[in-house]
Amino acid sequence: MEHPILFISLILEMLHLPLPHGEVGATLLEKIDSPHMTYTWLVMAFLIIVPKLTLGKMEMIPGKGQNFWEAIISGMEGFMADNMGREGARMMFPMLATFALYILVSNLVGLIPGFLSPTSNLNVTLGCTLIVFFTTHILGLKFHGAGYIKHFLGPIPWLIPLMFPIEVISHFARILSLSIRLFGNIMAKETLLGILFMLAGAYFAPLPILVLGVFVSFVQALVFVLLSILYFSAAMEHAH
Amino acid sequence: MANQRKEIMKMLADFGTVGMTVAFSIFIGVGIGYLLDHKVFGGRTAPWLTLIFLGLGVAAAFKNLYMMTKRKDL
Repeated sequence: MEHPILFISLILEMLHLPLPHGEVGATLLEKIDSPHMTYTWLVMAFLIIVPKLTLGKMEMIPGKGQNFWEAIISGMEGFMADNMGREGARMMFPMLATFALYILVSNLVGLIPGFLSPTSNLNVTLGCTLIVFFTTHILGLKFHGAGYIKHFLGPIPWLIPLMFPIEVISHFARILSLSIRLFGNIMAKETLLGILFMLAGAYFAPLPILVLGVFVSFVQALVFVLLSILYFSAAMEHAH
Repeated sequence: MANQRKEIMKMLADFGTVGMTVAFSIFIGVGIGYLLDHKVFGGRTAPWLTLIFLGLGVAAAFKNLYMMTKRKDL
């Protein structure tokens, strides 16, 4: 398959910085310069700079920019409050809103030619998922102390030797399903767009996939955040 | 209307994971069993722990399905 043209990699090449030749570079600088890292930083810079520029001064009567961001933030907070209660939403809001915005923007950025979705690399999604996994268990320990182990033991005492491995396995399956779903969907979108563009780009063949790509980006960002919310609220509530 | 759509999205996210959870539970079970067999016990117990943990993985998959049938909000 054709190698995709990534403009940040081209700029780095012009600056004579070492680029990785395979999937993962050999040295530290090559690892930092690999496309999913540079595009992650692009998304981070976008998310830091654009709200700063559009927000303007915070005012009592919001202007255009402030209104837009307030609608996004209050919409997300309402969504979280519906699913995990107002207290939990207030506590977990910064992390989950960061995930939502970061995953959404990094999914969408891959639709522009010359850009790459950072989430089309398994390592990026696995990182996000491991953060969610550890936060779930830290929340459980924080809310229940040592009694959090009851979440893993099931309702019947003499079934504990059977239930404990089962629960542990299903918790580890969450890591895999959360990370591989996001990675798989976005990687499929990117690959399909690349192939269609190479085959029949002049006849607008990628257009339907671009439309589907917008849909998939929104749905996958929503699903990631929603499943994190469900896991968090399951860790916070009492064992049944 | 907006509320109903939110519910539908939530269920889509919930039930969209059923198939993947089944597959990955089994894979995680086999993976743990294989690691125990070949890395921890050095192949002396092969293939028994792999088979036992395969069974546990299948049980975990079915337990997830069973919990989904017991949901109150449907």
